[in-house]
Amino acid sequence: MNSLEILTLTPLAAGLMLLFLHEIVPNQAKEKATDLIRYANLGIAIILFLLATQIGFETDWLDTWAAGNFGGQNAYILENTPVSLISSIGVTWHIGIDALSYPMVWLTTLLIPLSMLVQWDAEKGAQFHSLILIMEGALLGVFVVLDLFMFYAFWELTLVPMFFLILVWGGSDRRYAAMKFFIYTFSASILMLIGILIVYFHSAPAGGFTGTLTGHHFDMVSLMQQSTLIESAGLRMVVFLLLLVGFATKMPSVPVHTWLPDAHVQAPTAGSMLLAGVMLKMGAYGFLRIAVSFFPQETITMIPLLVFLGMASLFYGAWVCLGQTNLKRMVAYSSVSHMGLIFLGIATMQPLGIAGALFMMFAHGLISPLLFAVCGSFKHHYHTLEIGSMRGLAHHSPFMAGHMMLGWMASLGLPLLAGFVAEVAIMIAFWMTFGWWVLIPALTLILTAAYYLWSMQRTIFESSDPHRGILPDTMHGEEPRDITWHENVGMFILGGLAILFGILPAIFFDMMSNWSSGLVSEVLIDALTQLEVTP
Amino acid sequence: MNIESPLLASPLLGEVLRPEMTILIGIVLLIVVPNLGNATIRIPMTKFRIPVFLGGRRFTMTSDPLIPGVISMFVLLLSMAASLMTFVDGHELVNVCISASGAIQQGCLGSDYILRSDPYSRMFTTIFFFALLLGTAAMINRMPAFVDAKAPHPDDTGATRIHAIRRLLNNRRQGDFHLLILFVALGMSIVALSTHLFLLFIGLELASLAIYVLVAFMKEDETSGEAATKYFLTGSVASAITLYGMSLLYIWSGSASNYATASLSLVGPNGLAATWQAMDSVDPLAAIGFGMVLVGFGFKISAVPFHFAAPDAYSGTSAPMALILATASKAMGFAALVRVLVVMAMPEYGTEATWLLLVGILSVITMTWGNLAALSTENPKRMLAYSSVAHAGYLLAALAALGSGMAGAATSRLLITAVAFHLLVLAFFKSGAFLVLTLTEMKGDDANKMESLYGLGRRDPIMAAAMFVFMLALAGVPPLSGFLSKFLVIDGIVTASTASGSLSAGGAIEWLSSVHWVFWLAVAMAVNSALSLFYYLRIGQVMFFETPRSIRPLPEAPMIRIAVILCLFLTVLAGLGPFSQTLVDMATMAAQELLRV
Repeated sequence: MNSLEILTLTPLAAGLMLLFLHEIVPNQAKEKATDLIRYANLGIAIILFLLATQIGFETDWLDTWAAGNFGGQNAYILENTPVSLISSIGVTWHIGIDALSYPMVWLTTLLIPLSMLVQWDAEKGAQFHSLILIMEGALLGVFVVLDLFMFYAFWELTLVPMFFLILVWGGSDRRYAAMKFFIYTFSASILMLIGILIVYFHSAPAGGFTGTLTGHHFDMVSLMQQSTLIESAGLRMVVFLLLLVGFATKMPSVPVHTWLPDAHVQAPTAGSMLLAGVMLKMGAYGFLRIAVSFFPQETITMIPLLVFLGMASLFYGAWVCLGQTNLKRMVAYSSVSHMGLIFLGIATMQPLGIAGALFMMFAHGLISPLLFAVCGSFKHHYHTLEIGSMRGLAHHSPFMAGHMMLGWMASLGLPLLAGFVAEVAIMIAFWMTFGWWVLIPALTLILTAAYYLWSMQRTIFESSDPHRGILPDTMHGEEPRDITWHENVGMFILGGLAILFGILPAIFFDMMSNWSSGLVSEVLIDALTQLEVTP
Repeated sequence: MNIESPLLASPLLGEVLRPEMTILIGIVLLIVVPNLGNATIRIPMTKFRIPVFLGGRRFTMTSDPLIPGVISMFVLLLSMAASLMTFVDGHELVNVCISASGAIQQGCLGSDYILRSDPYSRMFTTIFFFALLLGTAAMINRMPAFVDAKAPHPDDTGATRIHAIRRLLNNRRQGDFHLLILFVALGMSIVALSTHLFLLFIGLELASLAIYVLVAFMKEDETSGEAATKYFLTGSVASAITLYGMSLLYIWSGSASNYATASLSLVGPNGLAATWQAMDSVDPLAAIGFGMVLVGFGFKISAVPFHFAAPDAYSGTSAPMALILATASKAMGFAALVRVLVVMAMPEYGTEATWLLLVGILSVITMTWGNLAALSTENPKRMLAYSSVAHAGYLLAALAALGSGMAGAATSRLLITAVAFHLLVLAFFKSGAFLVLTLTEMKGDDANKMESLYGLGRRDPIMAAAMFVFMLALAGVPPLSGFLSKFLVIDGIVTASTASGSLSAGGAIEWLSSVHWVFWLAVAMAVNSALSLFYYLRIGQVMFFETPRSIRPLPEAPMIRIAVILCLFLTVLAGLGPFSQTLVDMATMAAQELLRV
């Protein structure tokens, strides 16, 4: 077992065991057990984070990935010896990470302990924190597996803990939100599964991966090396579109984004943080890993569609944000808007643009959890999410106001914060490819600034009475207070990292741009020449 | 090795048919043990007693209500182990045939035999014994000694109290029930073993008649009598049609002047298979007879249009019996159907089977009808019954692909593997679902109402989680075993049907028009699976979302809980990892042996 396998399997095993442990503990010891299980979960999550960090240092990712070897046999580090899982149909346990997945893996292991910390005193804490640990296993699985079947299995597995997190710990309308979330994303992934199966039926036998009964296999690395995956151009396009629907729903992109605001508003804080921080990135990750890598020609043909989807998400998300009165709903729509930028970055077909999209995935994964953590504690302490129902937050809860400011500034793309790097990279690449069309996304970013600044003004400042501010009715005379220490720790770490990666983006940006150069030079250039388009 | 000497044959017969012999011993035990110590022996199912003039009262131990169940479980467990022995490496009696005279022969090549113990039949006997074992386990804690049994009144003292307790400590009823279960097991294994249509019919009837009684067995429930009557009437009509079809086949197999060559054996020089293959064009007599034979099997697998009794029978009878109907009885129908279709009427490679169109159309109608009906029902048992109909449709699709004549040796093997594997894993998760329903049913909740599942997640989280996993497996969500079996079926159909079509055709439309129409069965399966998600997830929704109608915890019933957890583990493990591979290998062995004939 290498360290990556340990990293992926521990949370699943530990989470399930701790969940079960709580069920079998006798009633009189339940309270003590709950505390112990919570600490155990947090401890395991922190150890896994250290392990993930250590993986990065141990393998010298800067050197290994700087070479930019993409896709091929040795492209993945910590690749395990494939173990046959269902040998009759060719499913293997084959994992490995590269520059595309490592930042996501690191981000996941980072966000899990932070989300536990932010909602440390959740009701039914034992189950809550165990579910988050199970969630971590499923998310890591999605990012590390190199087998399409297991990819799909982990992809669906992420739904289960999130479904229960929303269902049991969610807001007042949680049932509707949980069901909508499940059915919506599940239906979309069935389309993706059909696409995966068509790919499967076209796979050529590949050594030990091949199914004994069917003669096909699911292995991504072998599929990448297969010269022509699907000969029929029409079928190829069908598969690409099926995959696109599956991934775009997860991202989510307009017009298949409608599950997101409901899920976010009803989800508990930790759930929202993971949903926005990591689960949305699964869509972009899968799109790059499978759709773009396997079907570069179709991606190039479909650039207009990608640009349209990206622009629509970016603009529509920002536009809807302007009209929102609910804080969480606004942040959710801002996620839709930022995910639009990822499509735009990929559509540029420039190494810089794709690297910008990758960095956007990472930066948004730091910033949006911070925003949702702030929203969560706002709801927790002020019992409302209405923008404008309270004024002068800075007076009552200075720490919360500070984190909120930092998060919004990072999200609207203030220089020296993580979001800015990604936005600039995407805009430059967009200009290089599409010329003056860049004005549309660039001007839309003004809308982003507008809605953030406007709500900032209405919430944090603008108190008619400089000493009291306006408290929302939902407080019922309760004294306003600031956030608790564990919320504070979690937000400080996220905010600090948003600043750190704004100043030193090179930590991840270098390897991301190497991976992107690899994708362009190994895959996309070939496809461009085949399509006889001058790059 | 060909053993002609009858002296040597008899001990080996017991060895080859060890599972069946075990069951026979179990039947004898179940008749004798409850009567031990008594001066009379009661004839099972009746009130007649034969005096033996030795002894007095029954022993307390042998009149324990648990004893028949324990015997029956033990016997079924042993028989299952004996069946599984066939799959152990190095087992000598892997492929053994028994002729009408009792001669035993290894290898079974070309000669006239009536029973055949090979991996195919043993695969199915394993499924039957496992499903019956679960049914027995579910019944063991559940059946009172009398229909109107009551616990002794707390005020009772002395003789009244002892009398009341003694009345309850009576195992006559349990004895009858488990005896019938063992008859079902015996009948079903005869069906799986026989290569002679008449013997097959006898096995079918032995199992069916016992099942008719079992469906009506819980007389406490008013609906069970009605369910059993419906099931019996439709079942006996189907059996009659089958028998008539067999008589037509018998006439056809001989010639008008010479009945010496007439035979109902599937194999051998005069067998139906040889006669069928020798026929130049389809003889109407043969086709009609063959079709009528299939009606009986269609009833057992509850394929449309012979499925109408199934939902009533499932919802009317007790959940453990519904379990047996949905898994063992269905597997029996398929064991016979596949044997007859493949051995007798399998087309040459490249030619379409005569029954292809019939099976293909029935398959689509069956799966769609089953799913649509399941969508619109508010009764969990009926829903599972209709889902069982839908699953029959999926398996018929695999058989249609087999009959398309496009499947080469490897693909045919894959398709039969898929069918056998699906029936095996169905015994895991479908049984599991019925076992959970048994739990809800035991304390008086009406398992025929969706309300009985409301809020189960709060009343019993572990059982609710297990039920949810069973539902996901039924829907075919990866990586559970339900997905793997469905996937193998789809894979087989796609491989067979696209063999002629060129995969490299330019456009998607061109490609679709170049494949055999059986391909659309795979599409229909995919669409139907997506459709079925709605009603399977609905069970999850009511379990976790609705407020429970009663907050009573579910009964303890340790045996059922163990069975549910066992099913849960098997459902998960059979979908992924080395255990699933072992099971698929078993099914492959079975398929290979069936096709070798």
